[in-house]
Amino acid sequence: MKNFPIMSHLPHPQSPSQTPKKHAVFMPFLGSMNLAVSLLVMLAIASVIGTVLKQNELFQGYIIKFGPFWTQVFNELGLFNVYGAAWFILVLLFLLISTSVCVYRNGPGFMKDMKQFSEKLSLHAYQRQPHVTTYTPQQFDIEIAQSVLKDQGYKTKVHHRDDGITIAGLKGSWNRLGYIFTHVSIIIICIGALMDSNLLLKYRELTGDLEAETRSVPLDKIEQKSWLGPENFSFRGTVNIAENQQSDVLFLPYEQGFLVQKLPFTIDVKDFRIQYYDTGMPKSFESDIILSAPDLDKPIEKTIAVNHPLFYKNYAIYQSSFSDGGSLLKLKIHSLKAPENKPLILDTAVDKTESLKTPIGTFKLELSDFKMHNIVPASEEERALTGKKMHNNGPTIIFKVRNEQGQALEYENYMMPIEQEGRQFFIAGMRASQAEPYRYLFIPADSNRQLDRFFNFLALINNRIETKKIIENAIPSGIGFEQNAYRMQVRLLTQLLALVRQKGFNGINEFVTQNVPQQDQQKVMEYYTSQTSVALQTLYLSILEQEKDQNIQEISNFNKQWFDDAITALSNLPDYGPPLFIQLDSFKQIEATGLQITKSPGKDVVYFGSALLIIGVFFLFYVRQKRIWLAYSAEDQTLTIAGKDTKELPEVAQEFQQVVQAVQSKL
Amino acid sequence: MNTMNSTVEMTASKKLFSIKDSIWALLVIAGAFYAWQSFGHIMDAYEDGILVGSAIGLILLGRFWPSIKTLSYAVATLSLLALWTYTQHNNQISANEQAFFLKFLISSQSAFMWMSALFVLSTIGYFAGLIAKSDFTTKIASILAWSGAAFGLVGMMVRWRESYLINPEYGHIPVSSLYEVFILFAVLTTLMYLYYEQKIRTRSMGGFVMLIVSASVAFLLWYTFDRGAHEIQPLVPALKSYWMKIHVPANFIGYGGFSIAAMVGLAYVLTEKIQLKNPNSSFLRAMPSLESMDDLMYKTIALGFAFFTIATVLGAMWAAEAWGGYWSWDPKETWALIVWLNYAAWLHIRMSKGWRGRPMALWALIGLVVTTFAFLGVNMFLSGLHSYGEL
Ligand code: HEM
Repeated sequence: MKNFPIMSHLPHPQSPSQTPKKHAVFMPFLGSMNLAVSLLVMLAIASVIGTVLKQNELFQGYIIKFGPFWTQVFNELGLFNVYGAAWFILVLLFLLISTSVCVYRNGPGFMKDMKQFSEKLSLHAYQRQPHVTTYTPQQFDIEIAQSVLKDQGYKTKVHHRDDGITIAGLKGSWNRLGYIFTHVSIIIICIGALMDSNLLLKYRELTGDLEAETRSVPLDKIEQKSWLGPENFSFRGTVNIAENQQSDVLFLPYEQGFLVQKLPFTIDVKDFRIQYYDTGMPKSFESDIILSAPDLDKPIEKTIAVNHPLFYKNYAIYQSSFSDGGSLLKLKIHSLKAPENKPLILDTAVDKTESLKTPIGTFKLELSDFKMHNIVPASEEERALTGKKMHNNGPTIIFKVRNEQGQALEYENYMMPIEQEGRQFFIAGMRASQAEPYRYLFIPADSNRQLDRFFNFLALINNRIETKKIIENAIPSGIGFEQNAYRMQVRLLTQLLALVRQKGFNGINEFVTQNVPQQDQQKVMEYYTSQTSVALQTLYLSILEQEKDQNIQEISNFNKQWFDDAITALSNLPDYGPPLFIQLDSFKQIEATGLQITKSPGKDVVYFGSALLIIGVFFLFYVRQKRIWLAYSAEDQTLTIAGKDTKELPEVAQEFQQVVQAVQSKL
Repeated sequence: MNTMNSTVEMTASKKLFSIKDSIWALLVIAGAFYAWQSFGHIMDAYEDGILVGSAIGLILLGRFWPSIKTLSYAVATLSLLALWTYTQHNNQISANEQAFFLKFLISSQSAFMWMSALFVLSTIGYFAGLIAKSDFTTKIASILAWSGAAFGLVGMMVRWRESYLINPEYGHIPVSSLYEVFILFAVLTTLMYLYYEQKIRTRSMGGFVMLIVSASVAFLLWYTFDRGAHEIQPLVPALKSYWMKIHVPANFIGYGGFSIAAMVGLAYVLTEKIQLKNPNSSFLRAMPSLESMDDLMYKTIALGFAFFTIATVLGAMWAAEAWGGYWSWDPKETWALIVWLNYAAWLHIRMSKGWRGRPMALWALIGLVVTTFAFLGVNMFLSGLHSYGEL
């Protein structure tokens, strides 16, 4: 490594004689720049870890990603919550101490340096400064010399030596203030941040006074140990409040659970609104809220929005998110096995759990969410047609169906049919875990854009007696058709339908592989498939007959296509989980606004520190402390001009020459 | 003594109030007033403040660095021409396809294309001049860089207006999407370099600095043609804040400073290598001294650090208003801190250990990697609250 010679040297004013002996090693270490730089680098590395490793996720997720061993190791190291880890706080604390010690050791010296003109040095000492010139002026006048330096922006001080006169000039001493400002500001910012940290809560947790709630239970079931009173020093939490509801508590995420913070005021939410641009992007989120507190004569009414919070005393109330506030839902629950299309009508709401008794057991229906709009990029054709870039697929419900063993499947069902390749489908997504994408079932909409035909058709397939009747009627008998063959044909078709009914299309496949010799399987399979199709078409015709407005003499293209799509949907039904289909019939949307409420006494401290930091940084970089000495020797009538800057930059020599010229032009 | 004193003061005061400076100040004030007259009705108190602050800043900047005046006159003329042409076409955005001037020169998209071409040509010019030891060529390259910056600024001004023409609801100053800030970055970095170019009187480092500007132009072109990112989109609610208007430019002065430092660092490492191999190489004569490059590195990092500090603090204040907390350890925030800590360490090491030269140059180069990750990588690889410009 090739370095320039160290041109600037740091004044490290410290007088060992003043420092008690036992501190002689420790304090310099704490206040050393090596330690400071190491701490800065450590903080940076820790921060990198914190952003690369997703923080505070569920443990299962980590185990999938890293395996149980490394998950354990990482967890012990606090890597899943870096910014709250003890060692991270320790590094911060060390930085705080180190900076404090540094300021303590250097600050007074720098302060002194600001006022010091060093006017009492010997001529010899001046001649050893980094920049020196000596010449013989015509005459030496203190006042002229002083005024020249003043014109150059220097403050001056005159000293009469034994052998002459020294005029010392100093400017830019604020540079030193810059050092003090920046480093004190770091201390102030750290203190502000500590004021807003959850150190106090950690302490209370250690003493057993506090414990996070990890269950999701109603407020009145939450243990006293998880509550925080309004006197709590600082906090930051969120609460969702539905329209026309109110709240005087807040939820603070804490470790793997949460704490409940009691507020000294109540927030009523009158309305929550989202406005959209014509692109479908949200334009604004707003809540009309009313804040009432015992000591307020009149409640405060305000509309808050993103970037426009409400400040009350030392609290701030922000619009931070939104969610469903328990929208009322009217559901139609279709059994996929029932021989009649008589769906169960259920009036319920988001966040409720309903029990559904079925012949194959009791299922829990957990309604998790309702979404009014599902905005997706528009297809090319639609874009060309309407010029809109986004398309709204309309409302959805999101729910889980949980069986008696506790296993759940998650569903996402659209209320309205969605166009796909020119056809209308009701789309229903299903997945076994949040990590997977949804797999979709496409149920073709009938000519009224409803689900009726599909469930009529399904019910008919499920109806053994009705099916048999229809097949018997449909197959031509009598003339030219032997009684025996007729009976066999009826039996084949009803049996195939029974297989479909019980096990889906796979049932036929299974039956053939089990009962037919290998070499005939393919042929038989083909035959059975075509016969199943005949049977289903027969049933379909009878469905169309029931729909009064359909012409069954000549099947329209729509109806043909519908049949194909319905068969595809039928073949996918066995993978759809429990034999239930939940249809959203109607709803009344209730929205909830997500508020973030903070009490942050450290904020102003941090801001003050930040202001100091900025001012200090500018002083450090853009104010340069410069010294000039004009040392006149009465003896040999020469004037020595000496200069020294705290930082030796290339322009210093040039600036020194300018001063020399200014002096020489006058003296 | 008195007479002498007054002459000195006179020269000093003459410097303060030169005619050129006064004209400049008057024009800036007139321009700001005109802007306020035209658009004051849609500005809030903060934006009024920002306008006044910008005017004062521009007056001071023009005094401090006279070339800015010429640039501003050119940018203002072209921008007003573009705005006027739009007015002639009933303020229809489609005019950018019809009116000659807009279509080929100064609609925002055309201006950005000109900017891109000029920056790339300037890079080539700087290197060509360096290799051929032609002062004339580097001079041309410098003019190209100035012109590119002018077109970039014109494009931004016009894009600002265009966003309102498309839909008044979409209107915003173009510093909000990744596409827009890339242009800001290219322009600011170029201008900052040009300042130092004048100050240290050497154009030999131009190619190195313009290399990074060209890289951002390449990204910009890919982003335009592959991703259609140039389309003007409305702002998401979190970005609708006056904070954005000061936070983002401050950030990019920081990024610009760090980038220049890194490229100077690169020039340093190369020059030193050549010096070791062949002390009489003519390349060395063309390059500034190692000392002055080292100093330039320090100065640009100091400038970047100062503005990056401001930007980070402003960002924290904005976060406090938009998300309810001045610090959330969001990846973008955290990476801003990492960048800041890195350069704080750089400055301390230089100061305490007196390290100079190659290690610091290499560190400045690594600093650019860190900075680039904070600027781009976070948006690409890490998700968080700052999701304004995902790739
Ligand atoms: C986060 C913590 C810190 C930050 C951000 C910080 C920032 C800075 C900055 C920006 C400079 C100016 C460098 C320059 O002029 O080129 C500086 C100088 C300095 N820092 Fe720090 N610093 C920190 C902690 C410390 C600590 C813990 C020490 C203790 C040794 C320290 C000692 C110094 C000294 C002695 C100077 C030189 C002042 C001068 O002579 O101009 N700093 N610091």
